[in-house]
Amino acid sequence: MRILLTLLLVYIAYPAVAQQENDLGTEAQRAEGKEVYDIKCAHCHGYEGDASAVATPYLRPTPRDFTSGNYKFRSTASGELPTTEDIKRSIRLGMPYTSMPAWEGILSETEITDLAYYLKTFEPAFDGPYGNPTVVEIPRAPSYSADPDHLARGQEIFAANQCADCHGENGRGNGESAPELMDDWGDPIRAADMTKRWTFRAGATREDIYRTFMTGLNGTPMPSYEQTIDAEDRWALVDYVWSLSRDTPDYGTTVTVQGRSGELVLSEGLFEAAPQVYFPIVGQITEPGRAFYPGVNGISVKAVYNNSEIAIQLQWHDMTAETDGMNNPLIEMPMFDPAQPDTTMDGWSDAVAILLPSRTPEGLERPYFMFGDSRFPMSIWYTDLATDSAAVLIGQGSGRIADNGIALERSASYEDGVWTVQFKGPRNQGELTMPEATFVPISFTIWDGFNGERGNKRGLSAWYHLYLEPMETQSAVLPMAKWFLIVLGAELLIVGLVNLRARRRKTA
Amino acid sequence: MNLFVLLAIAAAMVLVQFVVTRWVKLNLLAWMGIWWVALWAAFSYGINPPLPNSIIVLFMAIITIALVAYLSADNEELKQAQESIVRFMVTRQYRVALLIVMFLIPAAVAAWTFASMNEAPQPPSSGRTIHPPPPSSITFQGTSINLTTANNPIRELQHTDEAAFAEHVANGRRIYFENCFYCHGDNMEGAGMFAHGYDPLPANFNDATTIAMLQESYLFWRIAKGAPGLPSESTPWSSAMPAWEDFLTEEEIWEVIIFLYEFTGFEPRAQGMPH
Ligand code: HEC
Ligand code: HEC
Ligand code: HEC
Repeated sequence: MRILLTLLLVYIAYPAVAQQENDLGTEAQRAEGKEVYDIKCAHCHGYEGDASAVATPYLRPTPRDFTSGNYKFRSTASGELPTTEDIKRSIRLGMPYTSMPAWEGILSETEITDLAYYLKTFEPAFDGPYGNPTVVEIPRAPSYSADPDHLARGQEIFAANQCADCHGENGRGNGESAPELMDDWGDPIRAADMTKRWTFRAGATREDIYRTFMTGLNGTPMPSYEQTIDAEDRWALVDYVWSLSRDTPDYGTTVTVQGRSGELVLSEGLFEAAPQVYFPIVGQITEPGRAFYPGVNGISVKAVYNNSEIAIQLQWHDMTAETDGMNNPLIEMPMFDPAQPDTTMDGWSDAVAILLPSRTPEGLERPYFMFGDSRFPMSIWYTDLATDSAAVLIGQGSGRIADNGIALERSASYEDGVWTVQFKGPRNQGELTMPEATFVPISFTIWDGFNGERGNKRGLSAWYHLYLEPMETQSAVLPMAKWFLIVLGAELLIVGLVNLRARRRKTA
Repeated sequence: MNLFVLLAIAAAMVLVQFVVTRWVKLNLLAWMGIWWVALWAAFSYGINPPLPNSIIVLFMAIITIALVAYLSADNEELKQAQESIVRFMVTRQYRVALLIVMFLIPAAVAAWTFASMNEAPQPPSSGRTIHPPPPSSITFQGTSINLTTANNPIRELQHTDEAAFAEHVANGRRIYFENCFYCHGDNMEGAGMFAHGYDPLPANFNDATTIAMLQESYLFWRIAKGAPGLPSESTPWSSAMPAWEDFLTEEEIWEVIIFLYEFTGFEPRAQGMPH
């Protein structure tokens, strides 16, 4: 009886004891985890978890070094280790706009759990007193409020806590100290662009943003504000950050170009009413000069035309404007540029180009998306932002680009993290014509000088379209009336004849 | 496919068949009308991305001809149908209904005219041939390779020398993760970190319609010559697939091919079978 009682006591006490223990999984779980890890993760994170692997040199941010114990995404206090659930969440959802994929749907929940336990083996501290970290409570988010006072309060908090020093006054990632930021592994790191919350590593819901500044991102300069920002101000800050961005990038495929009657004078006002379209920019990784981490990830485009000219406005976010030095699409690059990306490298200026076919294409034919080829050259509206001129270059492939002597009108300005570049050129250039109501292929390329981008090391886009909206749209009233009457006439004829015939038969 | 709409249409048809017919007897003509409307709704709203109007008009014209042919194949039924139409047009009792129908038909045509004039203009659509026939031979780094007879030299080792084979697979993994996954993705599902910026999208090797139905020599051609080596019906100028002949050796290409099959678990199509 006594033994039974003792057993019962031990049984009751057991869960309390277990809670004290660190959550490290079983031997079998860790072994299973290793098996999946070596197949799916080791080429980036290293067989030893130390981020030395075949793919690592080409990736930025660098795949996580698990032996450091530094995890960006945590529900735990600043400087602490993550919980098992935190690690599982990072594996499940990945880190957007980095090479860390989302494994949800690819790996099973069991595999993800096994992996999390295996990752913990790389950092001995998980097995020590710090292995059972304290979780920072995230309250349920109150519903979003766009009340101007509430948002103004959020903006005040944003300014008072030096968020702007890194993230920029309007959150475009262009704060004063942004260019110098480094992470704990010695890599340069960029402060997040608050106007693109789909790129947030640790999630983009309002709870996520709350947690991010409460816990900080270990291993990065992004600090924790748990002690500094009062509870009643936190959701105002979250809502202010939330208000800076739309929900999704909403990538487009066609720029509708509006007609204008007068002269096109390059200015802010010229494009005011024109619809804006946002396109993704990705690294050029097809030819030597491969850019695995382009500094720019999207471009906004507007355009207008009149009877002889077309004007196109490009806007993109850039941490700093490089207006010294030079750039040129012809600069020769090795297959891999061994230079550390994203460090101020004096000498390379920002530059941008609009790429168009050199002649009106037939059907689906286009110039090769890189820089064209000799079969179908490309017309490149290029400007080096260290200069104040722009020209049309003819591209017949990388390294085969020549100035064809046509000058373009151009205006460029950089303000609070945004480059605005406007081009104006003729609607008919040589064999390329842009009549109304037609689709003209277009693509874009951006060189971020700060990131050492030059020559073929650049951010680029796929082929998209300009559509020149007709200046006068034909009214539908006349054609509608015409067809209504034609069909009605035919009906009357049929019904009339049938009735006539029926009456005849009756009288007969 | 817009499964929701298609299911709704099917449900409506079932409803007509089993419920409505309890109260109203539907003759053949009414049935044909119902089918016509159901098919039109399916083409117009059930397919994603939507078909262009001109294609829908073409389909409906074919269906109309087919229905008329069906009707006229049986003299008795044709006669019945004719009689019911004539009755509708001449009987006083139907006068109001006739006037309504006579107004609705031209109104529908006018509405269609309006819709087609206000249709958002569509950019030239990118119908491309994904798997064009390969050339019979290619020149690879100065030597000619006959694609109809070329075999993956590493494939033999799979059964004769497992250790050597495993080494080639490991090398293939290195090549893939140095060069390919930015586009084709970690898991070879075509969703790499840069995939969203390219059109056409990078190939999904987990899909049964890519490497699972191709010969290894076909892959060799695609990897060596990339987009620039495609014929024009495959829109080589839009595809971002690089030509790897300048950067990888012949053996490295065979190795990465082996790795694609090992990682996805597919078998290549045997040599000698037509593409
Ligand atoms: C293609 C390369 C790549 C592969 C494959 C990959 N990762 Fe990652 N992983 C990364 C990168 C890059 C980061 C860092 C992202 C950042 O710092 O913004 C990362 C970060 C992480 C993090 C840290 C999240 C945090 O909060 O700091 C975890 C956990 C992780 N990876 C787990 C895995 C697991 C498990 C696998 C295999 C199933 C895997 N990764 C496969 C590239 C990769
Ligand atoms: C010392 C510079 C610095 C300060 C000050 C700073 N941040 Fe950050 N923040 C960063 C960096 C760097 C990142 C990017 C981390 C990364 O890419 O992994 C970041 C990322 C973020 C993110 C996105 C996190 C994610 O999931 O990617 C949010 C949201 C954020 N910060 C909010 C704030 C707020 C709010 C404040 C002020 C209360 C603030 N930051 C202050 C440097 C800073
Ligand atoms: C810059 C992006 C990019 C990179 C890097 C890339 N590919 Fe591709 N690849 C594509 C695209 C886009 C397609 C689909 C269009 C096409 O068929 O050309 C494709 C198609 C293919 C195909 C044809 C599949 C089929 O079903 O016909 C093979 C095989 C292939 N890639 C292998 C590779 C290998 C191996 C590597 C690395 C050595 C690689 N790719 C690197 C973009 C890329």
